[in-house]
Amino acid sequence: MAKTILAVDDSSSLRQMVAFSLKAAGYNVVEAVDGQDGLDKAKLQNVDLVLTDQNMPKMDGLTLIKTLRTLPGYAKTPILMLTTESSDEMKSKGRAAGANGWLVKPFDPQRLIEVVKKVIG
Amino acid sequence: MTRKKILGSHVKRLMSGVSVHGRRHLTEVETDLLQTELLLEEAIDKLSASFMAIHGTVAARQAAIDSLLDGAAPTLEQRELLSGMSREIGEHVNAAITSMQFQDMTAQLIERTLRRVAGLRDFLGTLSEHGADIAPETDSDEIVDRLGKVSMALAVQSLELRSLLRRSVEQRHLESGDVELF
Repeated sequence: MAKTILAVDDSSSLRQMVAFSLKAAGYNVVEAVDGQDGLDKAKLQNVDLVLTDQNMPKMDGLTLIKTLRTLPGYAKTPILMLTTESSDEMKSKGRAAGANGWLVKPFDPQRLIEVVKKVIG
Repeated sequence: MTRKKILGSHVKRLMSGVSVHGRRHLTEVETDLLQTELLLEEAIDKLSASFMAIHGTVAARQAAIDSLLDGAAPTLEQRELLSGMSREIGEHVNAAITSMQFQDMTAQLIERTLRRVAGLRDFLGTLSEHGADIAPETDSDEIVDRLGKVSMALAVQSLELRSLLRRSVEQRHLESGDVELF
């Protein structure tokens, strides 16, 4: 059965490109427009991996990760950040919040798929 | 210090504050706009190249298909060529996807610029508000007091704006970014 990835980004074009790339590699993709929407969708169905942006309205990526980590179904779910933020300080914050990896935008679809495969198969 | 000198020093402080903070914010606006311009220029160059390459590969593929439709038996070389074209198209599409992400980055830069411009407008509004009710007969002590307050308000507003608008887009090129697994 195809694995499901929750893609959280406030940029519709970015979500579209992430979804296009991951679907082409055989994954199901659920899209969310910001951290709050991502949290709501994560509660509705358990996903195999969360891929989230950092700077978003309503709820940012770090808050989303911290909140997801308090939910029983998401204690060990892989969570990757996909963001324009590239400073070591932000990466450390992401790691402390519970992220499993950090991808700096812009992403290369092939590289993204390789990373996802490495993380969830 | 005489009253006249005190007033003069407060006017100087206010004018210098407006100038320093205003220039600092405008420099940031200029930097963000230049970064936006760089990203847009590179995006259009790379996207044009990707689309032209896709067009070229699709046209070559169509020519190969037409030849097969005309009854020519596919040689091993033609099979490899057709198979290679799929990979080639895939690579061009991937490159285009990377370049298309300029929108996400430039949108953040433009939003930052707009918020800074709005902040500068509020900054100038504060200056106008504080000066609006200074009457010609207002004594110099009160003017000194008002100038001190407006200088302080402007400095606070400017600092708040600077901390609010932390730079989150450092990219100046559309090369794929780093990946780090923890």
